[in-house]
Amino acid sequence: MERVTEPPAPNPLLEVRDLTLRFGGVTALDGVGFAVRHGELFAVIGPNGAGKTSIFNCLNGVYRPQQGTITLDGRSLVGRAPADIAAMGVARTFQNLGLFGHLTLVENLMLGRHHLMRTGFFAGMFWWGRAKREEITHRAAVEEIIELLELEPYRRMPAGLLPYGVAKRAELGRALAMEPRLLLLDEPVAGMNLEETEDTARYLLEVRRELGLAMILVEHDMSLVMDLADRVLALDFGVAIATGEPSEIQHDPQVIEAYLGGAA
Amino acid sequence: MAGPHRNLVRGYADELRLFGTPLSRAGLVALVAVFLLLPTVLHDDFWLSVLIYVGITAIGAIGLNLLTGYCGQISLGHAFFIGAGAYVAARVGGDTGLPLPLWLLAAALIGAVLGGLIGPFALRLRGHYLAIVTLGLIFIGEHLWRNLTPVTGGNSGTSVRAEPAIGPLDFGDLTLFGESYSRNQGWFWLVWGLVALVALLAKNLVRTRPGRALQAVRDRDQAAEVIGVRAGRYKIGAFMLSSAIASAAGALFGSYQQFVSPDEWNLLLSIQYIAIVIVGGLGTVFGSVLGAIFVGALPAIIDRYSEVIPGVRTSVGGEGFISVFALNQALFGVLIVLFLVLEPRGLAGIWLRTKAYFKAWPFSY
Repeated sequence: MERVTEPPAPNPLLEVRDLTLRFGGVTALDGVGFAVRHGELFAVIGPNGAGKTSIFNCLNGVYRPQQGTITLDGRSLVGRAPADIAAMGVARTFQNLGLFGHLTLVENLMLGRHHLMRTGFFAGMFWWGRAKREEITHRAAVEEIIELLELEPYRRMPAGLLPYGVAKRAELGRALAMEPRLLLLDEPVAGMNLEETEDTARYLLEVRRELGLAMILVEHDMSLVMDLADRVLALDFGVAIATGEPSEIQHDPQVIEAYLGGAA
Repeated sequence: MAGPHRNLVRGYADELRLFGTPLSRAGLVALVAVFLLLPTVLHDDFWLSVLIYVGITAIGAIGLNLLTGYCGQISLGHAFFIGAGAYVAARVGGDTGLPLPLWLLAAALIGAVLGGLIGPFALRLRGHYLAIVTLGLIFIGEHLWRNLTPVTGGNSGTSVRAEPAIGPLDFGDLTLFGESYSRNQGWFWLVWGLVALVALLAKNLVRTRPGRALQAVRDRDQAAEVIGVRAGRYKIGAFMLSSAIASAAGALFGSYQQFVSPDEWNLLLSIQYIAIVIVGGLGTVFGSVLGAIFVGALPAIIDRYSEVIPGVRTSVGGEGFISVFALNQALFGVLIVLFLVLEPRGLAGIWLRTKAYFKAWPFSY
């Protein structure tokens, strides 16, 4: 397989170089490099096990890569704790939902704002004063997201009881509540029917238009990727095989081979 | 009956009020009235002392519920911190004659430090493994309490002379507006006043940023990290807070009982607390108090009425097939099993369902 390395983009938001992640003898990521520009919707595609979610886990500090650099606006992310990376502005949604099931939708969204808030154990116990003011300010910010994503009917429902499509949207809402600079979306339409997928696409476009947020999208739904993404990175067995605009990727012989097997 | 417009929420401040509806405010007034009047109506020292022990237990149970119910960290070591608090009361309150706020605070502080030492284990272990480590605490404690004679009085125990006095207000010998009250009446007001205070602080905690973080750690600790919650910090914080509250409860317990011995802080006491938070409802402040009333009062009531309960042996070699002690132990076990199987949300869950039923009435959903 031929490796592709992109020419460095001028002043990217996120720059990943030579990223290598191994689990024992298995190489999940092998020298992957890419850059995401400000406000760009960047998609990562590849067959199952290609290493898409591993990239996310490296980006937000869940895994520590053996080699390579990850820089967000010039600051290195490698070796930092997930909570630090979250505070630096990287938000994420999970493939299999990462909502807190016993907490209500509002509480889940408020947790997104955790790193923007200050109230500690003592201030929280003595509610009157700072804690109360902070709750109200951030509750108002959360309400804007509820409105943007049309989650009004579900405010007080425990996240564990939300219908699947709504839960996915709520998780997007929680990530937005973090006021991130970079949003990682891990299969936002997995398991959705056509209508729900189109709804989600609409929300993603709206988020992009309103907030101008850079996003990395991992997704199997090719029509969604090709419609939404500015640029696409194709992975196969942990190796970056192609990077480019959707139309280029669709006709890239290596990508076709990775998906359909052997040269047709 | 108030119309729905009375409950209209006009802003976030309205929504965040603890007693936001007329009905809940009426309930609050009723509770305060019961609190103020009960000791003047109920003179029976047996019942008053049961209620005082229940109140102290409720405080300790709120502590355990913050740790186990809200943060999801199981602990069998709660009795260790209760015991530690009782000895702090004996040495700091009793020997130096400091007033109640100071020895209570000292107990909480030392409890927090001890809890902070255990906390790091919680970062490495979870579930059964954490239960075993905290179980070890009980046995280490038992050894310490028996051998740290200058502090604990060794095997023979120690008297606790910590006075329940705040300035001129001595709850052990209360005189208000020319009227003097008995020790148990004074203690009732003191303890249940503190229950209300601790419950309020705990409720405030769980509805603000730190409390949400605890619950996020309980539900999914890795997702919590990824959205910016430092799970380790909150686990240790939960341990410290829970043991601080337990120690304060222990200090009150020692001061009320006036004498403590090292075999009181055993595994059974820890299990009693676990039974309370399960029966009351994990992850509810209110449930901790309900559970304490239900489970905490049982042993005393069984003890009092053991003569009329069939099959209970009241003296060694007497008739009946089960001793009072064994019956209590068995009951805790049965209660835990029944609630876990039939009503995992505990008494608080039953209460919420009843409330929802009447809210929706006459519709059944």
